[in-house]
Amino acid sequence: MANTRTPVTGRKVQLMATCLCDAFYDDVARATVEVLEHLGCEIEFPEGQTCCGQPAFNSGDWDASRKIMRHTVKTFSGDAPVVIPSGSCAAMLFHGAPLEFEKQPDAPEVQALADRTWELADFIVNGLGITQWEGRLDANVAFHRACHTRGTESGPAALQLLGSIPGLKIAAFGEAEQCCGFGGTFSVAFPHISGSMGRLKLEHVMETHPDFLVSGDMSCLMHLSGLANKEGKPLQIRHIAQVLRDALIQAP
Amino acid sequence: MAHQKIDTYAATLNPEVRQAVRSNSAAGTEKRYEVLGSDFGNPDPLRKLAGAIKQHTIEHLDQYLEQAERSLTANGVKVHFAVSTQDARQAVLDILQQTGCRKVVKSKSMISEEIHLNDFLEENGVESVETDLGEYIIQIDHDHPSHIVKPILHKNRRDIAKSFEREGLGDYNDDPETITRRARAFLRQKYLQADAAVTGANFVVAESGRMVLVTNEGNSRFCLAGTRVHIALIGVEKLVPHDRDLAVFLNLLARSATGQQLTVYTEFLSGAALPAQPSGPREMHVVFVDNGRVDTLASNCREILRCIRCGACMNVCPVYRQASGHAYRSVYPGPLGAVLSPMLAGKGFAQLGDLPKASSLCGACNEVCPVDIPIPDLLLKLRNRAKEEHLPSPGSPPMGGFALLATAPMLWRTAMHAGIALDLTPKGLIPVPALQEWLKIRTLPAWRGGKFRSWYKNRPAQGKDRQP
Amino acid sequence: MSHRDQIFQGIRQAITALPERAAYPDYDTAAVTTPRWLPAAEENETLFRKRLTGTGGFFFESPADCAAWLKKDGAKSVYLAPEVAHLAADFAAHLEVVPAYTRDAVDRIDAAVTVAHGAIAESGTVILTDSGTPDRLAALAPWWHIAVVPRTGLVRTIGEAIAALPADPGIVWVTGPSKTADVEGILIQGVHGPGRQGSFFL
Repeated sequence: MANTRTPVTGRKVQLMATCLCDAFYDDVARATVEVLEHLGCEIEFPEGQTCCGQPAFNSGDWDASRKIMRHTVKTFSGDAPVVIPSGSCAAMLFHGAPLEFEKQPDAPEVQALADRTWELADFIVNGLGITQWEGRLDANVAFHRACHTRGTESGPAALQLLGSIPGLKIAAFGEAEQCCGFGGTFSVAFPHISGSMGRLKLEHVMETHPDFLVSGDMSCLMHLSGLANKEGKPLQIRHIAQVLRDALIQAP
Repeated sequence: MAHQKIDTYAATLNPEVRQAVRSNSAAGTEKRYEVLGSDFGNPDPLRKLAGAIKQHTIEHLDQYLEQAERSLTANGVKVHFAVSTQDARQAVLDILQQTGCRKVVKSKSMISEEIHLNDFLEENGVESVETDLGEYIIQIDHDHPSHIVKPILHKNRRDIAKSFEREGLGDYNDDPETITRRARAFLRQKYLQADAAVTGANFVVAESGRMVLVTNEGNSRFCLAGTRVHIALIGVEKLVPHDRDLAVFLNLLARSATGQQLTVYTEFLSGAALPAQPSGPREMHVVFVDNGRVDTLASNCREILRCIRCGACMNVCPVYRQASGHAYRSVYPGPLGAVLSPMLAGKGFAQLGDLPKASSLCGACNEVCPVDIPIPDLLLKLRNRAKEEHLPSPGSPPMGGFALLATAPMLWRTAMHAGIALDLTPKGLIPVPALQEWLKIRTLPAWRGGKFRSWYKNRPAQGKDRQP
Repeated sequence: MSHRDQIFQGIRQAITALPERAAYPDYDTAAVTTPRWLPAAEENETLFRKRLTGTGGFFFESPADCAAWLKKDGAKSVYLAPEVAHLAADFAAHLEVVPAYTRDAVDRIDAAVTVAHGAIAESGTVILTDSGTPDRLAALAPWWHIAVVPRTGLVRTIGEAIAALPADPGIVWVTGPSKTADVEGILIQGVHGPGRQGSFFL
């Protein structure tokens, strides 16, 4: 799933906040803005943005998904990098969309958007060249590498950034390569399997007694914290953007 | 709300079986990571090379299959072709009848499972005995393999001890070593009494006509030491161009399958035994089988034909680990089966059209695949095909309405603000099945639709001077 | 139309429809298949011993050592292939030496000593061929199998062994004793083939 991005030259970026942040996790989108602006980026937030179309794509309804993707291509016109605080939505843009547009006449436009799409941590480390984070955060965390970042630079980038924050300790846990069980509509069409996968992930994570679980994808965290809450064992969750932002705040 | 069949199967699976499947497949994954990691560090260049060789081969299959046929014939092997399940069974039976063979010993072959060869041979008066320990147990239990490399992953020693007692192989004894010794004593008589051996093949080299067969137990070797006729059932996609390519594949196969550097017995066969040899088949037949593979080659999922049947994808698959192999209702389980089974089913696609849904699309299967098959992409393509063929998909909400909403920004923003109603309404009253399903085992975070947009719009200054 | 023609026609149709076809990749076998620990490993003979032992096999310093061990491990009779008949004295000191291997004696002969074509150091594998070990049963059915490895036939890697595959209708690489983990993932040696696999150099 390697991304074939064009290198970053200017300061302008377009932010795709994702529908989950739009609906539930406004602070994650806000932290993304604050982190990018701290790095000197000029952010444009296209008002017309909705969803990346992944739910329809994954459920096999590529007609519906392509409609949404065409809307996204139109909304994110221009040539600035598109930065997304989600490995999953980013992968939809740079991998899923070209797949569903393979035989479509507008495939080149979709590919052009794919080529300038970045997941947040990947953008910071490999787009902007930042490998050390400023500030401080005293916490023990567990890091869940979201599955849609397999084979991309996002996982190593996130670990690079987190590992460079003074005071932050990252605990390793078992079977880290295993999925959390979210999987979009999979979570409701296969509730038994999804729940079992999630509980297994929680067991491994909880064994490290983290102050919070960090990921680059709110969808995994929504599923895991939802499961944990339902079972009365609340789990603190943070998006990596929030961790980076909080490190800047805690710094003297 | 209706659930997917595989989820229902997993929910009702015997907990002992689930535990066995989970721990055994997890151990397989661990061993694979360990050996590939310590031997190659990053195995990706090797996996990608192997994938490229296989992709090249299947995209030049017309040339390579013809070349293989020529090489095999030059080696004195009789080459047959079979289009369908029926053709393949009949081809085997014809050879057996023409050579006067009444007793067959079989080495593990997935393609013989595809065509249900044992039942067919028995119906036609030929005794056919599986010799792989796991497959033998499957046969006496009239069961089906639940894993392509470890067929009895779903059974425990007590199940097996009971089966052996029932078959008259001794008193109840569930010690794995005793079980193995009893099978050894019983099956070696079968090898020596048998007329013919039926095997599969892991690879056939087009340029040399060499067939490669690997087993850990040595059963394939014994089949080919005890009998006078050898019949190999081989899928048309099993080719590799050159002998040298075997170094690439043999360095990956066992490591991926069982975490071994090499399987114990790796046989390279290029013809019948020499006249002077006291043991070994006097004639060798190869039956190249299509059984849906050519249609798969013509489809947009042809990459699945790269598969070398190592089982790494099912070992690592979280869905397979929860559901077990039988949940897939077909010969090939796990991520491989979720693609290959519906493809090989041909006109029966609809009956297995739900298998590609049985994945969170986590991509672990692709990450461990020794031939780098993009399994998640193939699952997605098949989901799209199922949608276009209007197959039912329990539990998946329809997406048409969502597409309308997601292409109308004004409407979207209104919905974001209106979603606050979620928090004001008792959740049990909201008539959205997917939401109800979510809420059965999880909580939902508070609705904060539109909050980010208003913050972004209303914040005072922007840029570097506005430190958080 | 014959099944053959039907299959070829289907394949050609499928392939003709492809916009482009994947090329055969250029590669250097040693560069992609050499384990990263191998260059630093000891010379071939030492490596072979170590790897053979690692697969559950046994290595002997001499025929006499081998014979003594066979007896200690429980073997009573041994078949010596014609090529190693000259070692009969070493073995006769400990075991009954059987001059011929016959099908009806499969369960009566405990051990067999046959000559390998060669061996692979990196994996502890012995290479048997039909011309060198004509009786497939003799090298497979006994509980103890000893493959005598000619030093000249020892290669370092799997890749080198593939490059030097002999022109023989039946070659088998044997890497340790016969194994299964079918029952609950528990490793058991000696399923159909030898439970003990050993070697010494000649």
